[in-house]
Amino acid sequence: MPQETLRAKTKYSKEANDKCIIPRCQPFTVQAMRKGCETDVGMPPMAGAFRARNKSTATSFHKFYERGDFPIALEHDTKGNKIAWKVEIEKLDYHHYLPLFFDGLCETDHPHEFFSRQGVHDMLEHGGSKILPVIPQLIIPLKNALNTRKKPVVCTTLKVLQHLVVSADMVGEALVPYYRQILPILNIFKNSNVNSGDGIDYSQQKRENVGDLIQETLESFERHGGEDAFINIKYMVPTYESCMLN
Amino acid sequence: MASGVKVAAMTEQKPTKMVRPKHWDETVEEAYRFQTAGYRDAVEYQTLKPDFEVDRWPHNGYIKKLVRKNGYYNYFNKERECPDKEIHKTKIYMY
Repeated sequence: MPQETLRAKTKYSKEANDKCIIPRCQPFTVQAMRKGCETDVGMPPMAGAFRARNKSTATSFHKFYERGDFPIALEHDTKGNKIAWKVEIEKLDYHHYLPLFFDGLCETDHPHEFFSRQGVHDMLEHGGSKILPVIPQLIIPLKNALNTRKKPVVCTTLKVLQHLVVSADMVGEALVPYYRQILPILNIFKNSNVNSGDGIDYSQQKRENVGDLIQETLESFERHGGEDAFINIKYMVPTYESCMLN
Repeated sequence: MASGVKVAAMTEQKPTKMVRPKHWDETVEEAYRFQTAGYRDAVEYQTLKPDFEVDRWPHNGYIKKLVRKNGYYNYFNKERECPDKEIHKTKIYMY
């Protein structure tokens, strides 16, 4: 045993004997088994309900894009970026492409984030009756995107949800059975607003305030979800108050 | 021969005047959508893509789909797309 350690140990024991106190020690150790020993388990760890989760694997959208499977190209000019479709959207297989584009909502890097966001937007805008049958396939990508809990991803996903419910007839009603998958994250972040006093909150202007977006999304769900929508939303988000009944 | 006709048509339809708008209206929106797709206006689109008709939204008549010069497709929203900051960059051609 090194001399210094031995000296320290002796000093420690002497001090302990002087005060007749056995120091607190780590739980579940041999020391903790001593008679009269108090253990210190410390503070409970953070639950991390609001913490952003990093995905471990690349999304299917990422893989398909790298492979060149999407019929899209980026057109950039002075008016900003825009998607150019290599084939007509009306001729696309929505059962194949729409879930893939939704899968890309988890992406945060360029150009994947732009392509998935704009691709979803274009397909919802021009899908019409082809969107409704694909709804069940969209739930897991939506849930994954919300579960990342990253602010930009959640904001984009909320805007996509708002677009989705108005994209075609009966889509709002078709989403009601899936509230259990979608709404828990909305419940977590519902009160996520910035208290900036009398300062300007620029996220309001840019529509990036998560709390406001969640409120808008829930109201949109209630308006387009039929008569069962409110009670189902209330079940998952207890603090939500109806925008139609009051 | 056909390309000669096309060139002739293009030269005939040269604009004589161009103005930059100050406020948004439906004409500005129309020009913005054509210029986003890479064309000057409807006249140039008809000259270069005579086989394609301009696809429009039924409820307000805004342009829905345009074919770019490279054969790709541009799709546009149901509602206004031209943001305020792009209004003065849009060009309205007159013949």
